[in-house]
Order: sequence, then C-alpha cells, then structure tokens
Amino acid sequence: MSDTGLVLKDVYRVFPGDITAVSDVNLEIENGEYIVFLGPSGCGKTTTLRLIGGHDDPSSGTITIDGELLNGVSPAQRPVTTVFQHYALFPHKSVLQNVEFGLKMQGMDKTAREQQATAAIELVGLSAMMHRKPRELSGGQQQRVALARVLVTRPKAILLDEPLGDLDRLLQMKMRVELRALQRDLGITFIHVTHNQEEALSMADRIVVMGDAIIQQVGTPTELARHPRNEFVAKFMGDNNVLHGTIESASGGNVIIATPHGKVEVAGTGKAGDKGSMAIRASAVKISTDAVPEVNGVRVRLNFVEYLGDSIKLHLDFNGEPFLAKVDEERFGEVQAYEGKEVTATWSVEDGHLLEQ
Amino acid sequence: MSSNDHSALDEAIAEVAQAESLMGGSSAVVATTGPRRSPLTTVAWILPGTIWLLLFLIAPLVMIILVSLWERTPVGFAAFSFSLDAYGRIFETSVFLDTLKNTIFRSLLVTALCILIGYPIAFYLARCVKTIKFQIALFIVVLAPFWVAYVVRIIAWLPVLGRQGVINYFLVEVLGVVDEPISALFYSTFAITLALVQLYVLFMVTPIFFQLATLDEAAIEAARDLGATPGKVFREVIFPLSLPGVLIGCIFVFVLVMGEFATVRIIGGGTIQSVGTLVNDYYTIPDLPAAAAAATMLVAVMTVGVAILLRFSKIREVV
Repeated sequence: MSDTGLVLKDVYRVFPGDITAVSDVNLEIENGEYIVFLGPSGCGKTTTLRLIGGHDDPSSGTITIDGELLNGVSPAQRPVTTVFQHYALFPHKSVLQNVEFGLKMQGMDKTAREQQATAAIELVGLSAMMHRKPRELSGGQQQRVALARVLVTRPKAILLDEPLGDLDRLLQMKMRVELRALQRDLGITFIHVTHNQEEALSMADRIVVMGDAIIQQVGTPTELARHPRNEFVAKFMGDNNVLHGTIESASGGNVIIATPHGKVEVAGTGKAGDKGSMAIRASAVKISTDAVPEVNGVRVRLNFVEYLGDSIKLHLDFNGEPFLAKVDEERFGEVQAYEGKEVTATWSVEDGHLLEQ
Repeated sequence: MSSNDHSALDEAIAEVAQAESLMGGSSAVVATTGPRRSPLTTVAWILPGTIWLLLFLIAPLVMIILVSLWERTPVGFAAFSFSLDAYGRIFETSVFLDTLKNTIFRSLLVTALCILIGYPIAFYLARCVKTIKFQIALFIVVLAPFWVAYVVRIIAWLPVLGRQGVINYFLVEVLGVVDEPISALFYSTFAITLALVQLYVLFMVTPIFFQLATLDEAAIEAARDLGATPGKVFREVIFPLSLPGVLIGCIFVFVLVMGEFATVRIIGGGTIQSVGTLVNDYYTIPDLPAAAAAATMLVAVMTVGVAILLRFSKIREVV
C-alpha cells in the first residue's frame, strides 16, 4: 500500500435497513491527481465522497491520506475540504467573509487572513466582487467563491460534489477548462463527483466508474472510452453497442461469438460454449450498402439520423434492437438519403472487444 | 385598465416582495421571476386583502385619529369640531408621559426576556430534537397554554404569587425567612413582567423555531468542514441566519406588550398603569377624545418602534 496520496481500503458503507451504499471500494489516489467519480444517481459516488470528507463514516474499511488514518477524524480536522453541491455559501457573509471563514476558524489574525483570502479571490477572478453578498452573484461566480473558500485553507485534497451541476451548458464548458487549469496550477488532488460522462472524460486524469455500490472500472478517459471493462461501463459511457451470445470457437487469440446479430470475431480468450459479450463503439461502426460479411456485420434499418454538429449519430434497428453508429459530419447528405432503408453495418476485428461477464 | 395602473400595481407587488425579502423570505425572487399574470388576476389576488385592511385597520385608525381631534362633550364628542384640546389634556400632567415611558420600558424588557427564554426553547425544538414527529409533539406542548383563556392564564398566577400563594407559603411557613406574606409579589411590576413573558414568549418561540428549522443545512455542514467548532458554527452561521425569526418575534412581542391592558389591570391591581389602562380610564370618565389621543400616541410610538426594528434589520442585512 502506498504511503502517499489518498487510499481507500476495503471500504463499505451500509445504511440502516441493510442498504449497501458503498461496497468493497479499494482505490489509491496519487497526490495531485484529478479524479472523477462517475456513475448514475444512487451508485454510491456521493456517499464515497462524504466518507472521504468525513461527513459520513464507513461501516468498515480504512481511509488514509499520506499514511495518516482518517477514520473517526472530524471533517474539520481532515486535510480535505468539500465544495458542496449547491455551494453552501454563507448567505449573510460577503465574498471576502466567506472566503476567509476557514482561516478565521483556524484562529489566524485579521490582516493575515484577509490578505490570503484576497489572494484566493483574485485567483478565481472575483476581486471586483469582494464585498458583495452571495445572492448578488451569478451561479458561476458563486461557484468560484465556493472554490476560493476551500482553496484558501490549503487542503491536501478538494472534494467537489457535482460542482458544475447548477450551471448552464456554456458556463459548464468554460468552468471545466478553468477548474482543470486551476487544479494543474495548484497541484492539489481534486476528487470530483458527476453523472455527466462528457464532463468526466474532459476533466479527469482517471475516472472511477461506480454502479450498484461498487467500483465498476478505474481508468484514464481513453481507457474507459476505448476499453470499457464490462457491460455496465460500456452502456453507461454511452455510444457503445453491446452484443451477447455464446462462444463458438477460440483460436489464435480471438474468439468467435454467435449472437442474434450474427457471428462476431473479437480479440480475447474463452471456452467454446461459454457465454460471451462484446462491445463495439458507435464511431467504429462503418455504414455501407455492401453485402453483409460473414463475421462482424449486420443488416440494419436506418431509423433516424441525428445531426450533432461535428458528427452524425445513426440510430439503427436490428430486429427491434437498437444499434448505434457515428459517422463524419460531411456524410450527412449521403446517409440522410438512406433514412428508413436497410444498410450494412460492419466493423473490424480490432475495434470490438470482449467484456467481462 | 390604463398602463399607469399597471405600473402602480407592479410597484405594489415589488414593494410587497421587498418587504418579504426583508423579513427573510426568498419570495422576492419568486415574485419577480414568476410567470406573468394578467392584471385582472393580480387585482383579484390583491382585492380581499385590501378590503380587509381598509375595513379593519385603516378605517378604525382614521376614526381614532379623527375623534382625538374633536371636542369633548359630556356624553362623548362633537364630530367635526376640530381642536387639539384632547392632546393638551393628556399632556397636562406628567401621568401620560410617565406611563408611556414605563410602557415602552416594560415592552422592551419583556421583549428582551422573551428572546432570552424563547431562543433556547426554539433552538432546542428545532435543532436538538431529531425527528419531526417529536418536534411537532413538543411544539404542541409549548402551545398548550394557548388553549387556556387569556384571563384564566393571568389569574392562574394568583395561586403562585398571591398572599396565600405557593411562593409566600414557602417563604413564610417552610423557610421562615419572612414573617408575613409579601403582597408585593402579586401586585407588582415584577409580577406583571413575569406574567407578560409567560403570555407572549410563544410569539417569540414560534418565528425563531421556524427560522431555525428551515436553515440551510449545507451551510452548517460547510462551516464544520472548514473547521468551525459547534460554538463557532452557532455564532458565525446559525445565529445570524436565525435573526429574521428573532426580528419577527420582537415585533410581535413589542407590539402586543405595548398595547397590553388586561394583564396590567388584573395583576397590577389598579396600582400600576400602562397606556392601555390609561386609555380605558379616559374612556370611563368619559373623555373619548382624550382616550383617542392616547391611543393615537400609542400607535405612533409602536409604529416608530417597529420602524426602528426594521431599519436595524436592514442595516444588518439579514438574509
């Protein structure tokens, strides 16, 4: 086990009534990493964050930071601080008073804390608003105040619960870049919880996908996008087609799976007769009017063409089951002509990959 | 309806919203960003309240002020015979002014005592009792005195504070610290203050309770997260955020005690006056214009008092 960074070992959280919110969480987070906990609501990601922040206690397991045990340590005493979901600013205090709060609680004298708070406010670009009340600020500005308020106490890690959830889309995009840049400058560990895949992919060093109270997969954004480990991750990350079937044969590092969509060949090992599932990214699917090949190809109906600006998403239908493909934006006119008609969807062996059962 | 009327209505709505936000609500936001209603609907909403206010507040007030300006006659007053004689009569001796000063002092004292006693009760109910079921149960217990008639609640002090009351019994018979029962226990400013606090403390508890019960828990959690001890969480976050409730409680108690009449009469036993009992005295003489003048002065002082309270709250920018 590592001596530095934040380490969660065998962490469980069971609520009264035998509701398991977090189960068997093992995770090592290096100092200075930007980690995003990603999952649908109720997956245990916020509970995990509260366990790290000290706002809830694990039923079993340990949480350490730089080798120091955090279990039982009050939130105030932990070297981690939380940016709450709706910012939780003090409505009766000015921006400056909000930001200096943590330092005031540490007993720092007025001039020193005001100096540091002013610097933190400058860092988030709100110097002009220093004496305003939170209600006089926009959502994005309130969020920056919340950030400055935790940054000023120089925590080892900052926990952010859905930090961009209250902002409109354009502001979200802007804050993603700003947050990430800020984190790189400061070199502080950021642990960010979200249910937004795009947000996770664009910001994280590593993403922790949670589902059904357990960690489904930990990986870099590219690992998760290209190689989802199981069906849950493949489906949650979106734009993946998952095919189920029975392994027919295995040879030369590849297996052939018989699925209702026809035979598919994919890299991996397995035993003939076992169940097998594979995922294929929508963007790896090619659409043509060619004949259906023997493996890795299906005849599908093009139901609907969704224009996304930089690409086109094709909603295909195979005997009532949805199938997705994504093609270049330039092909819009061409593919639109096929709306409502049959086309052939194919993919190459190396683009598909076998999922864990 | 002309566009002029529109803007007048809008202004009225904005004023209400501003007043509400001053009292701690976030309705200002709702009022300005809510869906646009048709002017007719707005009028329909405003009308019942306006009629009620006109009939039961504005009209009586105007009547009292008018009567105070009319000449006294042996049986009442001569309408539309304007003079300031009634004010001259009430300020002729120092009785009215002294009583007014005493009443103001008593109201401030009772208000302060109600904060001291009511705040901890409200705090306990709202923040220490964990389940809502118990909160409501205990709140009903706190409300219990209100099920008893007002005069009964006052007279109930007699067996406690009276010459043959519990306290005198202990002092004389059990402890023997005094030779004979102290009658001043009952017919005294002390007894009046005690009874008034008991009568009105609930008007302090209730608004503070609701303010404390609806605090933003996340802000409190954030304060703890940033290293605040329980005492500092209270001083820095909970108490300042509960001030709108305290303010409303203060207005209730101050106004009610300023207008007090029956408690002072019964427990004071005729030896202690309030502006309320003075008005009653003028009324029985009968000197109706003087009674009206005294009442007008009372309303004026109360209005100034409430205005000061609201002004104070604005300076503090209570949210």
